[in-house]
Amino acid sequence: MKVENYGVTLMRLTEDKIELVRNWRNDPKIVQFMEFKEFITPEMHLNWFHKINNDKNYFFIIEYDGKETGMINVKDIDNEEGEAGIFIFDDYYLNSDLSFKSCVCLAEFCFETLKLKRMKAHILNNNKRAIQFNKFLGYKLSENQEGILNQLYYLTKEDFNSKKERLIRLF
Amino acid sequence: MELDKFIQHFAAQFEDTDASQFTAETRYKELAEWSSLMALSIIGMVDEEYEAKVKGDDIRNTQTIKDLYEIVKSRM
Repeated sequence: MKVENYGVTLMRLTEDKIELVRNWRNDPKIVQFMEFKEFITPEMHLNWFHKINNDKNYFFIIEYDGKETGMINVKDIDNEEGEAGIFIFDDYYLNSDLSFKSCVCLAEFCFETLKLKRMKAHILNNNKRAIQFNKFLGYKLSENQEGILNQLYYLTKEDFNSKKERLIRLF
Repeated sequence: MELDKFIQHFAAQFEDTDASQFTAETRYKELAEWSSLMALSIIGMVDEEYEAKVKGDDIRNTQTIKDLYEIVKSRM
């Protein structure tokens, strides 16, 4: 299964690619942004894959320019919402338009194909870069998040659509 | 189109980086404030100020502000 737009291809994670993802995921430059920071063994990763390989979780390899550049996901889908996540592993594409292109592809998939009502993201309250990134996509801080370290943001279909045209003009 | 003005427009996209850090030879992707959002902001600035199109590939393939300026100039 794949999702394609804006030159980006999101390829659904398959078992033959989990070693690639495990190597990315164990790299210090990725670990630093992850909640789970322990070394991931092949067995742990295979168990994880079996838990997420279902219609409640969609993990995709981000392909661009014919290269596998990172991973993006929507997980824990329940009650018409799911939690989004992304990392770009390839330094050449880090801090570029690829993150936005990938997130727009994922949001379109969530709202148009999965028919989710909203997406959510948890962002550390001192991570200004991630907050600005997500707000540019249309995410809004949820209620009652003051004083919370890992704050909850929501993206509704309406908020996404209000930002989407401006975003894709820049692609 | 003047390089000095382009540098001013470029620097105006940044909030936390001191203006003195922006010169023609600044390797802009090495600035601490550089991010995906900055990449889109620069693309948007070029579109609005110069009515020219630059793409993500142009950002990836340039190093200095002057490199990008030359691309914008060639597309006006």
